[in-house]
Amino acid sequence: MSEQNINVALDRDHRSLSLENEKVAMEVKDWNLYYGSKQALKGINMIVPENRVTAFIGPSGCGKSTLLRCFNRMNDLIDIVRVEGQMTLHGDDVYAKEMNVASLRRRVGMVFQKPNPFPKSIYENVAYGLRLQGISDKNVLDETVEWALKGAGLWDEVKDRLNENALGMSGGQQQRLCIARAIAIKPEVLLLDEPTSALDPISTLAIEELIFELKKEFTILIVTHNMQQAARVSDYTAFMYMGELIEYTDTDSLFTNPQVKRTEDYITGRYG
Amino acid sequence: MERTEFKSHISEQLNRNLEDLFNQVLEMGGLIERQLENAVTAVQNADVKLAKQVLKLDKVINNEELEIDRLCARVLARQQPTASDLRLIIIAIRIAVDLERMGDEVVKTAKLVIKMDEEGVACHTLPGFSSLLEITTCANSMLKKVLNAFARLDLSEVMDVMDDEERMDETLKSALAEVTEGFKTSDLPPECLLEMVYSLKASERVTDHAANIAESIVYLVKGQEVRNIDPEKLAEYLQSVTE
Repeated sequence: MSEQNINVALDRDHRSLSLENEKVAMEVKDWNLYYGSKQALKGINMIVPENRVTAFIGPSGCGKSTLLRCFNRMNDLIDIVRVEGQMTLHGDDVYAKEMNVASLRRRVGMVFQKPNPFPKSIYENVAYGLRLQGISDKNVLDETVEWALKGAGLWDEVKDRLNENALGMSGGQQQRLCIARAIAIKPEVLLLDEPTSALDPISTLAIEELIFELKKEFTILIVTHNMQQAARVSDYTAFMYMGELIEYTDTDSLFTNPQVKRTEDYITGRYG
Repeated sequence: MERTEFKSHISEQLNRNLEDLFNQVLEMGGLIERQLENAVTAVQNADVKLAKQVLKLDKVINNEELEIDRLCARVLARQQPTASDLRLIIIAIRIAVDLERMGDEVVKTAKLVIKMDEEGVACHTLPGFSSLLEITTCANSMLKKVLNAFARLDLSEVMDVMDDEERMDETLKSALAEVTEGFKTSDLPPECLLEMVYSLKASERVTDHAANIAESIVYLVKGQEVRNIDPEKLAEYLQSVTE
């Protein structure tokens, strides 16, 4: 039997904790993924609640980044990948034949481990996605760029140098610029793949604070190697191990009283 | 849950710190046991010298609490414990507070012995005397049970401790009635009777703290908060988890 344990009735105050009061942003059913003949994700079932931060933790190679990349079909770019199961975004089948992958990625934005601004001005980086959408009205662009930079907590630092090259910014600023670029097109879901692993502690805290603010408007999924970060920023945490979702529950419970021994061994750093 | 789990971290430093924490809590508990034993003997034999030793040792106990706090703060700040490790830190702080307060309460019984000596009144002539011995002896046996439970992460005696605590509430009530009667009828000085009231209440408080420690251990072992739940539900819960 699988050790999977989604929202076990924890009975913390003699109440069971559940996702009942949450709206569903994405849903994953019986999800399998194969790299060639090697199965990397095994029978994943989960609900991603709307306007919440859901963190994926687990050792290297457990499949957390692979799963994250399924949410906006980034794995389509890898020839040998084959998937099975169902994944929906606000009820729409993410893997349906008629799903336009470009429009899916507008709805599910992504920020990567290493900041990857375009070698363009700060302004053009943020406006890029909007221009791709055919928006050319200067007022709309100005307003949206300002909104996104404010949302990314960067506006005050860059408002006087919007035309400077983005590559001149610090790493932390570049990463916040990438977040501004991702939110400028107002996605429904934001995927963050180790967004702070290349940043110093202060920039990391700034990004974490930003994540907390951003969840008011977006649903956020974050993969992190830093367990304390998952504990700090997320509402729900999923622990994965060897391609399986071992335990998925609210973050408080997972970090104070995990129900599966393997989770406990991992988060406490014990030999499993 | 086994004690060995706290020694199986990849970080040897964390293993050492948590082991030290177990030992420090048990050591502090051992000192309180000694205090309770000495208090009982001092009352029984009207031994002022022993009572004064109890007062002296209390200062050492207060320092033990600070040591435990320091170690907990260090582990929290440097090793960010989670899950059962985190629960161990939380309850070690709680248990240290309970033990320190137990120490303060035992001192009150030692003071009774000293006061009676000054007043020239034999302790055993005071109303409530046998109840005081009963409560203090029971408190010590409860403390032994909870320290064993903590050392072995074993909840099998927790319910006994809870039952003892309720029983001692009743013993206190009848002892206080006895002393109240003494105020009306005996020739003993009222300040001596009052001192007896303080000692009885203090000894009963020791049993409350032992019960608190038992609850903390349930939280450590099962991650379940059992403070403020009614005794029947607690008994049911403990039965379900210790079967």
